[in-house]
Amino acid sequence: MNIKHHPTDQTLMDYASGKMSQAMELLVATHMTLCPKCREKVAEFEALGGAALETANVMSMDAHALDHVMAMIERETANENVVFREMPSTRRVAVGESITGSAIPSVPRPLANLLPDNVLSLEDIPWKSLAPGVKHYQLKSIESKGTVRLMKIAPGVSIPDHGHHGHEMTLLLKGSYIDEIGRFRAGDVADLGNDVDHQPIADTAEECICLIATDAPMKFNRLLPKLLQPFIGI
Amino acid sequence: MSGTTRTRPGPADPAEAKRCASWIVAVAATQDREAFAQLFAHFAPRVKAYMFRFGGNSENAEELAQEAMMQVWRKAHLFDPQKAAASTWIFTIARNLRIDRFRQRKHIEVDDSDPTLIIDDSPLADEIVDRDEHAVLVKSAMEELPADQKVVVELSFFEDLSHSEIAEQLDIPLGTVKSRLRLALTKLRGGLEGVS
Ligand SMILES: [Zn+2]
Repeated sequence: MNIKHHPTDQTLMDYASGKMSQAMELLVATHMTLCPKCREKVAEFEALGGAALETANVMSMDAHALDHVMAMIERETANENVVFREMPSTRRVAVGESITGSAIPSVPRPLANLLPDNVLSLEDIPWKSLAPGVKHYQLKSIESKGTVRLMKIAPGVSIPDHGHHGHEMTLLLKGSYIDEIGRFRAGDVADLGNDVDHQPIADTAEECICLIATDAPMKFNRLLPKLLQPFIGI
Repeated sequence: MSGTTRTRPGPADPAEAKRCASWIVAVAATQDREAFAQLFAHFAPRVKAYMFRFGGNSENAEELAQEAMMQVWRKAHLFDPQKAAASTWIFTIARNLRIDRFRQRKHIEVDDSDPTLIIDDSPLADEIVDRDEHAVLVKSAMEELPADQKVVVELSFFEDLSHSEIAEQLDIPLGTVKSRLRLALTKLRGGLEGVS
C-alpha cells in the first residue's frame, strides 16, 4: 500500500491526547491499521503525553492509597482462577477476501468491530441507496457528537457536493477518487478543515468505497432537497 | 485533603526512565510488590493530577488514580519496553480510563493482532528506537519550549478543550493557539531529529 495522504499532525495529536469524537477516532484508528507512519507519529505524540504527565503538577495521594490498592490486588489475585489477564480481543475477521485491485483485503478491525457480525468484507455491508450511483451505510454511533458512515460510489459518479461545519475526514477503502485537492487511493485520508466545499469524483472504472467521519452533521448542497435530510438521517 | 503541589522532577536521564520500565517488567514477571510500590509512588500522584483536571473533584481523582494503578498491575504483562517508555504507557492507561469513565466508551485503538495490520518493511523501520532515551529527550525538549507554547501543549493533553476553548481560556485568538501549537510541534520534532 502506497499511502500519500495522511491525517494532519494536529489530528494525530488530538487522537493521542484522547480528545476526539468517537467517529473521528474510528477513522484515525482504521487508517493507522494500514499506515505504519501514522502509528509511529501517534506513538511520538503519546510520548509527549507521557512527558506532559512527568512535567506537570502532581497531587499527593491519600495516606493509605497504596495499602488500599494492594489489598484490592490481593483480593483479585485470590479469585484469580476466574479471570486475571486481560487478553487481546480475538474477534475473527476473514483474511484474504479476493483482492480486487486496490481494495483493502479485508476490513480493519477498528471498523469491523462496529459492523454487524455477519459482515466480513466491504461487499457484505447492508448498503442503503442514497442517490443514483451513491449508497451509504450509517455506522451505529456510539457518541452523539459526530457522525460516521460508509459510502459506495459508482464509477464516474461524484459524491454529492457538500460543505461542512467542523472537521471532516474521508478514508478511502477501495477504488480512487479525485477532488480539488488531488487523487486519493485506498488507505489515503483527506483531512479537511472547516468550511471546505468539495466534490470528489470516483475517477476509475472501479466503484469507490470510503469512510467519512465528521464532528458535525454533513450538509449536502445539491441533489437532496433539504426537507428530505431529517428522514434519511444526514 | 490533598492539594496540587509543584512537580517533583521526573526522570532526568535514560537510566531513570529505564528503572521505571524495569519496575513494570518486574511486576509482570514476578508480581514484584516492591517494584509496584516504586511505580505507585512515582506515577499515582501524576495520574491523580491528570484526572483532577478532567474531573474537578479530588475524591474522584484519587479513586481514578487508584484504578489506573490497578490496571498497571493487571496489564503489566502487555507492556513492551521496545514499544513505549513507562511514562508513555501509563499516560495511555490514564487516557483510556478517563475516556471510559467520563465519556462512557472505549478509546478506539489499533489491534496489534489484526490480520489487516500493515507492517513497515522499509529498511529504516528496522532501526531500533530506544524508547526510554526518546522519552527523556521529549521531556527536555518540552521543558525548553517557551512558556506560551508549553502551556498550549499542556492544555492539549491535560484538559478536554478544543482549540477555540483553549483560545478562550488563554484569552488569545484561535489562530494564535494554532500557530503556537504548530511551532511547538515543529520544535519538538526538530529537537528529536537533531539528536537521533
Ligand atoms: Zn498515515
